[in-house]
Amino acid sequence: MKVVGARIPRYDGVAHVTGRSAYVDDVRIPGTLWAKALRSPHHHAGITKLDTQPAEAMEGVHAVITWQDVPHLVYGHLEALGIPADEPLLAKDEVRYKGQPIALVAADTEELAAEAVSRIEIGFDERPALTDVRQAFDAEAPEIHSEGNWYKHFENEMDRRQIRKGDIQKAFEQADTIVQGVYRPAAIEHAPVETQVCQVVPEANGRLTIYSCTQALYFSMGVIAAHLQVPLNKLKVVGGTTGGGFGGKVDTATETMCCLLAMKSGKPVKWRWTREEEFLCSSTRAPWHMEIADAVTKDGWILGRKMLTLHDAGAYSRFSPYGLTKHSFHHTGAYTIPNLEFDGYVVYTNRVPTTAMRGFGVTSVSFATETHMSRVADVLGLDPIEIRLKNANRIGDTSPNGIVYTDPSTVSTIQTIAEAIGHELPADYRTMSNEPRAGEWLPEHLVAQMGNPEDH
Amino acid sequence: MAKHRGKGIAAIEYPTGMNQNGDPSQCWIKVKPDGRIDVFAGTADIGNGSKTIQTQIVAETIGVPYDWITYDNSNTDSSPMCTGTFASRATFVAGKAAEKAAQQVKAKILEIAGKEMEIDPADLEIVDGEVIAKGAPQTKLSVADVAGAATFGHGELITGTGAQLKPYAAIIDAETGLVDSPPHSAISYAACAAEVEVDDETGEVRVLRLQQCYDVGRAINPTLVEGQIEGGAIMGLGLGVLENCYPYYPSVEHRGGAFGSYLAPGMEDMPQIDTILIENPSADGPYGAKGIGEMANNPQPPAIASAVYDAIGVWITELPITPERVLRALEEKKEPRREGKKVVFDEELSVNTVSSGGMRFEVRA
Repeated sequence: MKVVGARIPRYDGVAHVTGRSAYVDDVRIPGTLWAKALRSPHHHAGITKLDTQPAEAMEGVHAVITWQDVPHLVYGHLEALGIPADEPLLAKDEVRYKGQPIALVAADTEELAAEAVSRIEIGFDERPALTDVRQAFDAEAPEIHSEGNWYKHFENEMDRRQIRKGDIQKAFEQADTIVQGVYRPAAIEHAPVETQVCQVVPEANGRLTIYSCTQALYFSMGVIAAHLQVPLNKLKVVGGTTGGGFGGKVDTATETMCCLLAMKSGKPVKWRWTREEEFLCSSTRAPWHMEIADAVTKDGWILGRKMLTLHDAGAYSRFSPYGLTKHSFHHTGAYTIPNLEFDGYVVYTNRVPTTAMRGFGVTSVSFATETHMSRVADVLGLDPIEIRLKNANRIGDTSPNGIVYTDPSTVSTIQTIAEAIGHELPADYRTMSNEPRAGEWLPEHLVAQMGNPEDH
Repeated sequence: MAKHRGKGIAAIEYPTGMNQNGDPSQCWIKVKPDGRIDVFAGTADIGNGSKTIQTQIVAETIGVPYDWITYDNSNTDSSPMCTGTFASRATFVAGKAAEKAAQQVKAKILEIAGKEMEIDPADLEIVDGEVIAKGAPQTKLSVADVAGAATFGHGELITGTGAQLKPYAAIIDAETGLVDSPPHSAISYAACAAEVEVDDETGEVRVLRLQQCYDVGRAINPTLVEGQIEGGAIMGLGLGVLENCYPYYPSVEHRGGAFGSYLAPGMEDMPQIDTILIENPSADGPYGAKGIGEMANNPQPPAIASAVYDAIGVWITELPITPERVLRALEEKKEPRREGKKVVFDEELSVNTVSSGGMRFEVRA
């Protein structure tokens, strides 16, 4: 091994730090029009009037688009995975979050485009907004979507993601102690240095060249093609160098609308979100609500876990059902818990749609379950490192969704950290390994859950 | 009034690849007449370093110097399909496609070299850009000459393609959540210890030190993987003590539309970070690598929350742990409700406090 394992400088590092890397905003195409969006000023409202004539009549305005210009208005990023779409590219008769795009203008300058947006005549019928996920979850809450406030399309059209393993009732009966807690990480911004930006050039041969900051060129190309109803050979996505993307740049937030403006005007169009739009209108990491009750023995074994998760999707599903499923699969964290009852709901609120962000679905559950683990140790008066090692997943243990762990490193990583911080462990914890459970580390309650790692 | 120090720990795991799979990455490679190599892949580099990593994998697999390789991910006309850079998949999934494409290129170079050298390709290997007879290193031909012979003598293009795909498969049982096959490509593991200082007068939490251990499977480039781990740690610090779009939740009043009003970590927030890599190779990743890009911001928030408890004796389970929350918690000094064998924390936060329609979280014992 010569190259793999070597500390080779980053391929594009010098270009990045000397300002020579070309990002979308560095592309200069003569004759480019600028796009601006009319966005909802309300968290929740019906649209009673939409007249773009005054904007279209302005000198220097070359195209205005609304929902009527989109060949396939409602398309979801994860339709291929069976997650039905619920979000129109441009709002039709209703807005469900403040900042939701309704119409776009392409004009000679950014200032002119903004002026044209302000001349679009629009009327709203404001409706009450739901912003607390716990209230939106309530069965008696006003409905944000026609089918209610919960996503209802998990397998068998279930309205929640369930995990059921072992005998949860028995675990809680047998427990010496039950520790309960609530965990609520906040919504946060992706805050990339490069805001959402796109430049589209309609080529002479009828193709569209799309300069994009996407994290996923082909994924975004598929989304654009679906909305426009064109084959992939009509599109060329140019990118590959992204000015900060932590999940939010999988959203394909600007590209399709920019294409529609370029097609309608026949001219190159650029849409560059302001910093304010990036903060106020772009998707965030979701605020999550998690409640945990653990059934534990006085010597620190976790017999069972009951958990409720509310995943705040914001106004539309986007990637949230996917994220919640991933969350459910990892809700025991780095530990083996044989008896489980997990219920997770994707809940709509009148917030900007939340989306995938670094650690999607799991960052939340890691916070909840690991803080809870420290609490359990404290309640029982046990060492927080020893209780973790004891319950750590080992080769042959099974995950919440029945996967047999083949190469876990929970024991090694914890032991390494214990040594690094100078935490003295008793001999039997020091010599513990990732290998299958045996002896004192295989109590009766963990026997039945064990599987064969060769099967996976 | 005093400053209190505390320590906390967290251990985590994280899956690689899209949940339930079905996320292909592909790669194709061509060789120029002088043996220099062009790699085409559709993997966006979002700062994760995938250009470098995939280039290293191709260089290693073929057996040529790193700087012989040009990596092009610039557009969808020349690049084959890649689902994208997310789900910690750019090294694990897309890197595997690059490795497979490079294996084909290597085989083709050896095939042409075999003809030129009149040696069975099975008895040849490529080291540092030269095709060498195994056991007789004096008998050799440069890859440049092999590429020239292919182009001008044999009339062939040395090329290779690779694709990595776990088909979309995992069928999930709606009732139990059981799956019929692993819904991920691999699982990675990490542990983190946090040391904090909490000022009980101002409520400020300072993270002084993060000591972290990651099982990366195989460090394709230790500098880059350490960079991801350290960068992720700072994002985790932001999640833990600073960042929040809506400080008055459930109000949707945002902190504001500018970096100046949104609190992300700055240089003054940097703790000492110690990173320890361990390598427990994965069966399927390129050279045993696992994907750790995303999980890198997961263990810090709980380690920090536990350290805050260790320092001042209060649990703060709403993030971020702001000075306001610290001061309120110190003032209230809430104790859990104890009822029989139940120890119930945070009742004031539960769905039960707002529920009117029977959606409650109840635990029977």
